[in-house]
Amino acid sequence: MTLDAIVIGAGQNGLAAAARLAAAGRKVAVLERRGAVGGLAGAVEIHPGYRVPGILHDEGRVSPRAAARLGLERHGLAWRDAPPVLLAEAGGPGILVPGAGTAGSRGHGDGGNGSAGTARNDRRDGGMAAAAAAGEIGARSRRDAAAWLRYRAFLAKLRPLLDSVMSSPPPPLSPASAGDLWELARRGGRLWRHGRRDTLELLRVAPMCVADYLDELFETPLLVAGLAAPAVIGTWAGPWSAGTNTNLLLAEAVPGHRLAGGPAALVAALERAARAAGAEIRTDAEVLRLHVENGRAAGVTLASGERLDAATVIATCDPKRAFLELIAPGTLPIRIEEEYRRIRARGTAAKVHLALSGPLELAARPGQAFEHIRIGGGHVDDLERAFDAVKYREVSPCPHLEIRVPSVADPGLAPAGHHVVSILASYAPHDVAGGWTEKRRADFLESVLATLERHAPDVRRLIVAQELLTPADLEARYALTGGQLHHGEPALDQLLVMRPAPSAARYATSVPGLYLGGSGSHGGGGVTFVPGLLAAAAALAR
Amino acid sequence: MNAHAGESRPAPARGPYDAVVVGAGHNGLICAAYLAKAGRKVLVVERRRQVGGATTTEEIHPGFKFSCCSYVVSLLRPWIIRDLDLPRYGYEVLPLEETFTPFEDGSYLLRDSDPERTKRAIARFSPRDAEVYKQFGQKMAELGRLVKPMIDGLAPDPLARNPFELLRLARFARHVRGQGEEWLIGNVKMMTMSAVDFLSEWFECEQLIAPMSVSGIIGTFLGVRSPGTAYVLLHHYMGEIDGSYRAWGLPKGGTGAIAEAIAAAARALGVEIRLGAPVERLLMKHGRATGVVLENGDEIAAKVVVSGVDPHRTFLRLVGEEHLEPEFAQQVKRFKMRGSSGKVNLALDALPELACLPGAGPQLRGDITIAPSIEYLERAYDDAKYGAFSRRPFMDIVIPSLTDPTVAPPGKHTMSIFVQYAPYKLKEGAADWPRQREAFGDAVIDTLAQYMPNLPGRILHRQVLTPWDLEQVYGLTEGNIFHGELSLEQLAFQRPVPGWSRYRTPIGHLWMCASGTHPGGGIMGAPGALCARTMLRARAV
Repeated sequence: MTLDAIVIGAGQNGLAAAARLAAAGRKVAVLERRGAVGGLAGAVEIHPGYRVPGILHDEGRVSPRAAARLGLERHGLAWRDAPPVLLAEAGGPGILVPGAGTAGSRGHGDGGNGSAGTARNDRRDGGMAAAAAAGEIGARSRRDAAAWLRYRAFLAKLRPLLDSVMSSPPPPLSPASAGDLWELARRGGRLWRHGRRDTLELLRVAPMCVADYLDELFETPLLVAGLAAPAVIGTWAGPWSAGTNTNLLLAEAVPGHRLAGGPAALVAALERAARAAGAEIRTDAEVLRLHVENGRAAGVTLASGERLDAATVIATCDPKRAFLELIAPGTLPIRIEEEYRRIRARGTAAKVHLALSGPLELAARPGQAFEHIRIGGGHVDDLERAFDAVKYREVSPCPHLEIRVPSVADPGLAPAGHHVVSILASYAPHDVAGGWTEKRRADFLESVLATLERHAPDVRRLIVAQELLTPADLEARYALTGGQLHHGEPALDQLLVMRPAPSAARYATSVPGLYLGGSGSHGGGGVTFVPGLLAAAAALAR
Repeated sequence: MNAHAGESRPAPARGPYDAVVVGAGHNGLICAAYLAKAGRKVLVVERRRQVGGATTTEEIHPGFKFSCCSYVVSLLRPWIIRDLDLPRYGYEVLPLEETFTPFEDGSYLLRDSDPERTKRAIARFSPRDAEVYKQFGQKMAELGRLVKPMIDGLAPDPLARNPFELLRLARFARHVRGQGEEWLIGNVKMMTMSAVDFLSEWFECEQLIAPMSVSGIIGTFLGVRSPGTAYVLLHHYMGEIDGSYRAWGLPKGGTGAIAEAIAAAARALGVEIRLGAPVERLLMKHGRATGVVLENGDEIAAKVVVSGVDPHRTFLRLVGEEHLEPEFAQQVKRFKMRGSSGKVNLALDALPELACLPGAGPQLRGDITIAPSIEYLERAYDDAKYGAFSRRPFMDIVIPSLTDPTVAPPGKHTMSIFVQYAPYKLKEGAADWPRQREAFGDAVIDTLAQYMPNLPGRILHRQVLTPWDLEQVYGLTEGNIFHGELSLEQLAFQRPVPGWSRYRTPIGHLWMCASGTHPGGGIMGAPGALCARTMLRARAV
């Protein structure tokens, strides 16, 4: 059987790449190591009858523009409003922060141009922020309410810029052709049009540490701590680490829609789109070798011993795995191997899944069900302390919990009246000193439950089943180097043209015919399926 | 060295002045000298009884002269030394060749100017690192080619609109492109990585990475693992003493001698320097600066006022918030000036001995770095993050009297200890520093005694300078030795305030010439000289 292209990995990016290639008439096979598609975005059964929609449980970065390119709405993708986030606090009601994004601006998805959608975004943000000012933020501090308005307005202004940066290939590092120069000029022009004042502000705040930036804006410690968390979860950094503010802007300035059914629903839509376009998807088909012959990508050999040949291979596994494991060591020049060895991919977040026989109820807010809860110490320094442990290869004694209760919006995930809870617990280093022994696993799970219990006293009584996935487990289960959820730490020097490595920044690698389209490439880090799309586009352009 | 040279000369005729410079630190003096060189009539007013600001030598114990604050020189721009003919006025730098690092297990690493010896020393820890060490130095010197034009000229304005600026940008872009992609990538990494991550791409042994990484954190409130600390490493490979590439040197007679030399050069050019003349505020008329008012009430009129003090002092004290646009005032307040380091100066009646390598050899002659491991440095940083001084701090130690015997009585010695971290804002508040000062000094001596057991017994006198003291005595806001942190968002066109990096200020006829402006801190002199050049080009004076 002759193939035009092979895609390694049937995660969100692999499926997107396959859909794009097949839609262009290429004969494509997607090879998935596991028994099911979806990778980190796929549904996980934690106990018979209980499922969570994805290890990565935040689909808030999916861009309607990207979805439109694959016509995912025709394949069942449905948008919904982002639920509010509850910033829990010990001995207090906490602060309920309005979710960023509603279905209101589906404009892109309908093929409407960005600006139209953005205009709606702005209006939406205005309304949302106003609501917040009147709401719980304002109740804490008038000053913070005003700051919140400014903050959301700044993000709304940034959105079109960041959205276009994150959904197109990074700029050429050293412009070779007139086309490259033109592209650079165009991008420069975009910054120009953005306005000197706003651009200066962007350049000022992007390299900052998230704690400094939020401290400038807000005076309520709980608000600063709660808003800072998304900037550092899954990174090897704390809120006082320079550059983390870039992560915040990227996380907050995206369209911010949510999907009915969460990441798993996205995977389902992508799978339908890929199959409809004629892509072949094979599960339980682990790639052991990626063949490079005469300096070009030639094909792969599966665990079964079967060999598949294709002149184009798009690897959506993490870049280190592709170049340091799948390609036989020694095949490539040391200089290239070194480039990939240097990628920092240290996992720092563990996953805890709970199956509950009833709703997760917080003592501070009896009778209310929340989809999205953040539990930290209440001060940004507590988050930093949680990070400090990682520097010494220790586990945080007081982990930060990023909690989703998907069964609130999607009761089908658990038996009637029951619930599932999906928790990202930070920090838990992949390379913990002494390794992830049974004792250490038990201790960490205990500290997570104890932290949760402080806010939800009944939770233990409700537990039907529980599961801890340390970065080491994630590495083993999902072939994820270092258990790094983003296929490479989000850091200033691992973004844009530096992601995953300078020689592969625009998806084509230094091996002709081999493309990197996983989260480790530009546009990735979280559920976006942009790298897969752009890698496929790069392959088609050749 | 005459600390009161100011009074020893007949006071020249007074006013009217073209420019009055506030603060006789090295930048203020350099700026004044360049203006006078162009024929302008310049007065420098200094709060203290001696010139130099933080570039100072003081006799804090009879017969012992200390560079109390800044203690080594590296980056003073060669063209400034030439322009002002400083050697003629006593400027002389004695090179520091060695860097010695003792480790907790009793081993040590001595790096000096002899590549072969250094290579052998490193090879004891890692033959591989010994091989790359020299390459690394060459690589860094290459990378330095990006920064050099930047510190010797105005900060490029990436959002320039006017044709001249665009031309400058284009030229800069060509310069960058000419260096090739690999070089560009190197610089991107340099500007965005942490010192440890950057060094780890080259080296494997911590005994080399830890002591090298500290040059990325000196004077900042960052850890060696904080992104943005890598680029400061460059400065160690751009240091130029008498033209030749070399890291660091000791000014003969202490850093104060540099200030004295610049002051002498300035006076020879006709600059008038008034000491013991603290400025209370700016004279303003119609939102423009027209001169200064001294604390004794004297009013000094001048066409322009040049501030040689830090941005906070300049705008929030001398100008006063009421004269500022609210947004600008807020931007100034946002400019981070968190002091993170202190100084301990010791007068010794004899040389101390290193337990790991006894004797008075090269190990004591250069600088001695207490940075035994990355974890050690990170833990020191963690203490400071939460508002306490490091119980086990990073230290950079020099014994100047070994290189320059003139600073201590025969047989006796001076020891200068730069200590990090010492956060200005303690948990208990900055005002608690006087209460914690001696405890801080004890932590330093105790830590050092692990490596130099006989040190405590040889101390004749101890001066402890906390960030709070640096603010009180030298007028450095929050004790920040660079007039503002050298963090990514506070550099180049963003220093001190985005869009105001060209020494101009929103206040008419008020200019800035000190470390709080591009290209920043250290005894570099570039801000003072570039400010003067810019003023003259703009015919502002």
